[in-house]
Amino acid sequence: MDIELTVNEKAFEVKTDPNTTLLYVLREELGLTGTKDGCGAGECGVCTVLMDGQPINACLVLAPQAHGHEITTIEGLSEGEELHPLQQAFIEQGGIQCGFCTPGMIISAKALLDRTLRPTEEEIRRAITGNLCRCTGYVKVVDAIRAAAEKVRDAGTEDRR
Amino acid sequence: MHDFEFYSPENLGELYELLSMKEGQVIAGGTDLIPAMRLKVIQPSALFDLGPLSELRYIDLRQDRISIGALSTHTDLERSSLLAKHAPLLRQAAATVGSLQVRNRGTIGGNIATASPAADTVPPLLVLEAEVFLGSEKGERHLPLEEVLLEPGKTATAADEIITRVEFHPLPPGIGSAFLKLGKRHAMAISVVSVATVLRLANDHVQDVRIALGAVAPTVIRCREAERALLGEPLNEQTLIRASQAAANEISPISDIRATADYRCRAAQELLRRALLIAAQRCRGQ
Repeated sequence: MDIELTVNEKAFEVKTDPNTTLLYVLREELGLTGTKDGCGAGECGVCTVLMDGQPINACLVLAPQAHGHEITTIEGLSEGEELHPLQQAFIEQGGIQCGFCTPGMIISAKALLDRTLRPTEEEIRRAITGNLCRCTGYVKVVDAIRAAAEKVRDAGTEDRR
Repeated sequence: MHDFEFYSPENLGELYELLSMKEGQVIAGGTDLIPAMRLKVIQPSALFDLGPLSELRYIDLRQDRISIGALSTHTDLERSSLLAKHAPLLRQAAATVGSLQVRNRGTIGGNIATASPAADTVPPLLVLEAEVFLGSEKGERHLPLEEVLLEPGKTATAADEIITRVEFHPLPPGIGSAFLKLGKRHAMAISVVSVATVLRLANDHVQDVRIALGAVAPTVIRCREAERALLGEPLNEQTLIRASQAAANEISPISDIRATADYRCRAAQELLRRALLIAAQRCRGQ
């Protein structure tokens, strides 16, 4: 079957089977391997992408269910060589160790910052409850998100990328 | 995943026609169904996507009842100011389901239809005495939620039917309510025990009370013995103990990977006690 979807503001037409997932389409058909394949059950969050601006597990969306929707992956955050403030903050704050949870973590954080640039500690922690990290213990991840929010606020404009 | 046919009916009429003609499984958020298909627990020959049926996604006040379309996501419930005002315990419960990512896709209809004994929106819906509406080509019928839940994984929904909405009366002013969930983690956790209660006090005596416990029986259940033990009584240590003990006799928890039956039994009693105290506080606070 053919599906049409927009990924990182580009329109795509993909030939696929119904018994595959959006995750598979992104990684295997579109070559966007930033989004990771973890548990396949929506429990780890490494496959988190934005669908119409909302964080969801790409492993829990069948390919045909993604037809007609707008997807944002980690690749959509940077502009060429320029990193998104979130990506920059994760690097600077030490919020990345093995990096496997990072794309999903950053996408969840992006969804948070799209809603508020002054998240409380509680809001930051709640925003990443669906993203497991086995390396960092989350402390630096939370620091990175807080720092990113500040970066975006200091930039003076709301970052709509 | 196994091979299956996939259908995207554009409206309810098309869906009902499909359901009457073909064998298959409806899919909404897919948060329970897709993992189950991966594990080969269920392998439907055809899937009918409910996603495009936006007419089933709403939260409205219709005359004297709150009506929630079956395709409303847990996030929709969490963000509903109508629910915050008229059924806060349901909103609270929806906010505890899975993770943010799961809540953005999982639906209230799915939470009921999957019929997990640990479904989190069900205890609040039970004490709200919700009616479940079932639609098919033959028309519409409705049942109390209590009669829809049959066994783990099984509801009274026929093969050619879907849940279209749930309805209940808004909680009147003067009623206190509470929802508590005990899990092995604070998020992304299946309930070990959950409790929902609504309570009305008059002169500090229980005038009306409804209690539901989750994850301690084949379905989420109303604890009518516990309710009877409280009616007309003041809320104090003795009456709370009596009610908790009554509830303990009504439940039939199992031991599984999350907890033992004995732990669930003890935890249910304590959770009920706490929920009643919180509901009472909220009652008095008004």
